[in-house]
Amino acid sequence: MTNSLSPAAPLPSTKPHKEERRKVSGGKILMMAFLILIALFQLFPLIWLVDYSLLKSGEFFGSSFLKWPSPPEWQNYVNAFTYGRVPRYFANSLIITVITVMLSALVSLMMGYAFTRMKWKLSGVVLSLIMMGMIIPIHATLLPNFILFNKLGMLNNMYTLILPYSAIVIPMSVLIMTGFLETIPRAIEESAVIDGASIYGVIFKIIFPITKPALATVCVLNFISTWNEFIMANTFLTSEDLKTIPFSIMKFAGEYSSNYGAQFAVMTIIAIPTILIYLLFTEQMTKGITAGAVKG
Amino acid sequence: MHRVLSDKKAIALLIAPGLFLFAFMICIPIFMSAYYGSTDWGGIGKYNFIGLDNYREILFHDKVFWTSLGNALLLTAATVFLQHPFAILLAIFLTHSGKYEKVFRTIFFIPAVISIVVTAKLWSSIFHPNYGLLNKLLDGIGLEALKHDWLGDPNTAIWCIIIVVMWQGFGYALLLYYSGLQGIPSDLSEAAKIDGANNFTLYTRIIIPLLSPMMRVAIIIAVTTCLKQMETVFLMTNGGPANSTQFLGNYLYKTAFSSSLYGYGNAISILFIIFCLVLTVVLNKVLKKDIGEF
Repeated sequence: MTNSLSPAAPLPSTKPHKEERRKVSGGKILMMAFLILIALFQLFPLIWLVDYSLLKSGEFFGSSFLKWPSPPEWQNYVNAFTYGRVPRYFANSLIITVITVMLSALVSLMMGYAFTRMKWKLSGVVLSLIMMGMIIPIHATLLPNFILFNKLGMLNNMYTLILPYSAIVIPMSVLIMTGFLETIPRAIEESAVIDGASIYGVIFKIIFPITKPALATVCVLNFISTWNEFIMANTFLTSEDLKTIPFSIMKFAGEYSSNYGAQFAVMTIIAIPTILIYLLFTEQMTKGITAGAVKG
Repeated sequence: MHRVLSDKKAIALLIAPGLFLFAFMICIPIFMSAYYGSTDWGGIGKYNFIGLDNYREILFHDKVFWTSLGNALLLTAATVFLQHPFAILLAIFLTHSGKYEKVFRTIFFIPAVISIVVTAKLWSSIFHPNYGLLNKLLDGIGLEALKHDWLGDPNTAIWCIIIVVMWQGFGYALLLYYSGLQGIPSDLSEAAKIDGANNFTLYTRIIIPLLSPMMRVAIIIAVTTCLKQMETVFLMTNGGPANSTQFLGNYLYKTAFSSSLYGYGNAISILFIIFCLVLTVVLNKVLKKDIGEF
């Protein structure tokens, strides 16, 4: 269980209990019914969201839960793009997220290597300091960071978000990287060093390709958390031009607040990228979350 | 090899970027909080040092602070006693669901990857007094009398928040227990079957006790995430009505940015961090039970 991130141990897809019975019993039907019921509870709000994003705002007050949109009100999505400033905010989010993900992947690879392979006295102390970051509530840093950025005149910049975003994902990313690096045999590195490779050559030419699965996990987890982050963006940004995608929905607070259809369309647009990323990288995410939890 | 691996310059270069980032964004702010927490700073202008007055005020006179902690406790209790048993049950069902197992697992987790801004607004609409899904449902089954402004009533608002948080976090809890089940060797259940155990005794006597290390992990995670709960509350009720749904993160935010009590807000931040650290350490100690190897 402790090395669930090791390359040799594929996660949960092997099912030890599966081969036991083959006959379809009443219990099995009941069990499936229960699973479907809970699955519906998990999904229904989202189905409702997509359905209503295609209705006219006036139709929201009808008595039905779901209503077949005939014809679908695509105008909601057009309004979402214009009132919600979706293209601009989407681009901002993409830039901030991609830079954060790449920066934190690089930093966690470097730190992970230094923590697992290099010999230095403070290694243990520094690692525990970083791991404390998983316990500390990030909300407690909002206030002092706001004061700090304000004093340094750094509010309203993209890097005002990129820096704290990269910092808060370091503990988890380093945890995943060190867990993975522990499982890699050192023989390859040793022969590379004997052949005259420098430490940087070893890290970027040998370790980097081997750790790609763990780096993918780190990147997917960090993409989702950064894309979804809201409270820091709400605190450190005031300029309309820099805001990130979650703020598209906030644009509907005032003058467009009764345009329900467009609001539902905006919410759908915000949710789609992370759902897609999750569906594409389900296994990487699953690995990262379980590995992080068990070790943390 | 050893010489290369103890190259001080290389170590410094590898560690420095991450450590600086971490120190500047997380460690230094905490020290700043400790500094401002002992002042009566109002956001602009001069301020005085007032020692531990803020902390004394918070701990002994601030009802909202304790309400916030109480709400975190309620949320934790709901998570551990309602969400987790469901998660364990479904995780067990999942291992028996054959080829659909992956589909279900994926569906259950989807709410967890969606932005809280979306889920909070979505559920606010579900609880909306006019077009909300919940009131429509009550209409549909003839319970008009129960129709309600769910988020506007201090008695129901906190339960709305709890439902949303449990809904969104369900996939996460399920995933933890599911991977815990995968870690239990299958020969144990086979041996129990040979000894004549039926499914019920197999699970209650063997599998669930063996799941306890994962329960410990899941409970610690639940406690800390419930204590840290902020965004859902911020977006759905902002702690209202009348602070009935207040949580620490939201409370310190409101104190600083709406009431301009920066010194006081920073003192709440520090207490918040201390609570999280102490609770995590204590829970780790208390829940550490040696269950033996398998």
